[in-house]
Amino acid sequence: MPDLQQLYDAVVNGDYKAAHAITERALAEGADPLTLVNQYMVPAMDEVGRRFECSEYFVPELLISARAMKASLELIRPLLVARGDKPVGRVAIGTVKGDLHDIGKNLVASLLEGGGFEVIDLGVNVSPEKFIATIKESQANIVAMSALLTTTMPSMKTTIDALQQAGVRDQVKVLIGGAPITQKYADEIGADGYSESAVGAVALAKKAVAAPVA
Amino acid sequence: MNSRERVFTHLAGGAVDRLPLMPITMMFAANRIGARYRDYCTDYRVLVEGQMRVAEDFGFDYVNTMSDPAREAADCGAAVEYFDNQPVALVEERALLADKSKLAGLKAPDPAAAPRMHNALKALELFKARLGREKVIEGWIEGPIAEGADLRGINTVMMDFFDDPAFVKDLFGFVVEMELRFALEQIKAGAEVMGIGDAAASLVSPEIYETFVWPYEKRLIEGIHAAGAKARLHICGNTRRLLKAMGTLGADIVDLDSLAPLDEARRQMGPDQVLLGNLNPVTVLRDGAPEDVTSVIGGCHGQAGARFIVGAGCEVPRDTPDANLRALTDYAHGHRP
Repeated sequence: MPDLQQLYDAVVNGDYKAAHAITERALAEGADPLTLVNQYMVPAMDEVGRRFECSEYFVPELLISARAMKASLELIRPLLVARGDKPVGRVAIGTVKGDLHDIGKNLVASLLEGGGFEVIDLGVNVSPEKFIATIKESQANIVAMSALLTTTMPSMKTTIDALQQAGVRDQVKVLIGGAPITQKYADEIGADGYSESAVGAVALAKKAVAAPVA
Repeated sequence: MNSRERVFTHLAGGAVDRLPLMPITMMFAANRIGARYRDYCTDYRVLVEGQMRVAEDFGFDYVNTMSDPAREAADCGAAVEYFDNQPVALVEERALLADKSKLAGLKAPDPAAAPRMHNALKALELFKARLGREKVIEGWIEGPIAEGADLRGINTVMMDFFDDPAFVKDLFGFVVEMELRFALEQIKAGAEVMGIGDAAASLVSPEIYETFVWPYEKRLIEGIHAAGAKARLHICGNTRRLLKAMGTLGADIVDLDSLAPLDEARRQMGPDQVLLGNLNPVTVLRDGAPEDVTSVIGGCHGQAGARFIVGAGCEVPRDTPDANLRALTDYAHGHRP
């Protein structure tokens, strides 16, 4: 069995090749996949988030850590699914319709994944219909929307209204964020939560899944 | 003292009658004249009309040609998407340099022939014809990391710093050569100040900034100065950790986003650096009351001291109430440095 502290280090240091190799060896030698996630990868991404929050890490460091985490998760996830393990929550995330900016959304998606959520990344320019279809197909319990532009912010309200009309609003918590977004705006459009930072978004999502949906 | 005289005298350290006023407007300007933003980005006559109207209505000391970050990348052949009422955007999943090997064969566009760059040159000529020497005419280029991200894809270039640092330097070298050529043509067409937008710089560590970004920003600024123009550096986002390095670039104006405290900038950059900014464009300028705008910009002025130009932290949002922007104007028009 490899020293699993090396998995933690590989994720924190953004070494995706090492993360993949250590995970592969550990699993081959009988390591419990959930233990790898909960005892090494989630704490590693917590540490990455902490360093990002206090400006020890910046976006490049966070992205290479996220890549390392994903290199490991791609080996682990099929095993968890096969034995019926449930994620902390299931998040459908995307940049709203009309908006092609994704760096902030990607940071949030990576940290959510590192926090034990299953993340369904719908990409950019995501229509309300796409969010609705994903909720129905995947049983997501969180919808996370991002917008960089004041011009695309209204798509958040359009999407929330569409969720309502499609009868799925009560199945999900809606979280929003992005440069022009404020708590005031989140309240105005009926979102369930807003975070001004990627790290804050993970805490918000954990809080959201802990509380019953409306 | 007209606007142009005021700004250049202030930059030279001379006495002026009041604080210069140079906020960034783009979508706000298009809205002002009831234009589609698509037309503002693609038709220089619309851009000039919008800028002239805002400058006149709110007593700005300048006009500029900035509309979106995709101008140069589009002319390089990058995939972009046009929208009726928002800025032109890069399509990252089809990034021009998704394959790094394409950089070696990439040719910098000729600004006189490339449609979007040419459109900017026409805007400057029209500004010059209409304004003469009344207001400052500002051109715009993208900085090394912003344009590098446009060509390579922002998510990818962020990892390139670790995966292939030599490629990053080649990419930024290409960008600087292209942007300097574009800047020189803009200066010939009438720009007396060149803005450099290097938004993505705020996403990287001070070490990456100083190693990979600063040397190329420095080359841009030196090239602009050699061509006889002034340089304004604007980096969107939180540049708090970069302030000291930014202060050594020799930019005539450092235009700071609202996340970078002006008092820290002043301490880090010394007493002579002209600072521009930097109230929060969303929570204060758009969502606040006029008295909030007055109070916050007064605080900015207090922190920055005399070497200060009034502006918002970033673009004035399109739905900013007139009364709020007028409060910003009133502050500049009513205060000496």
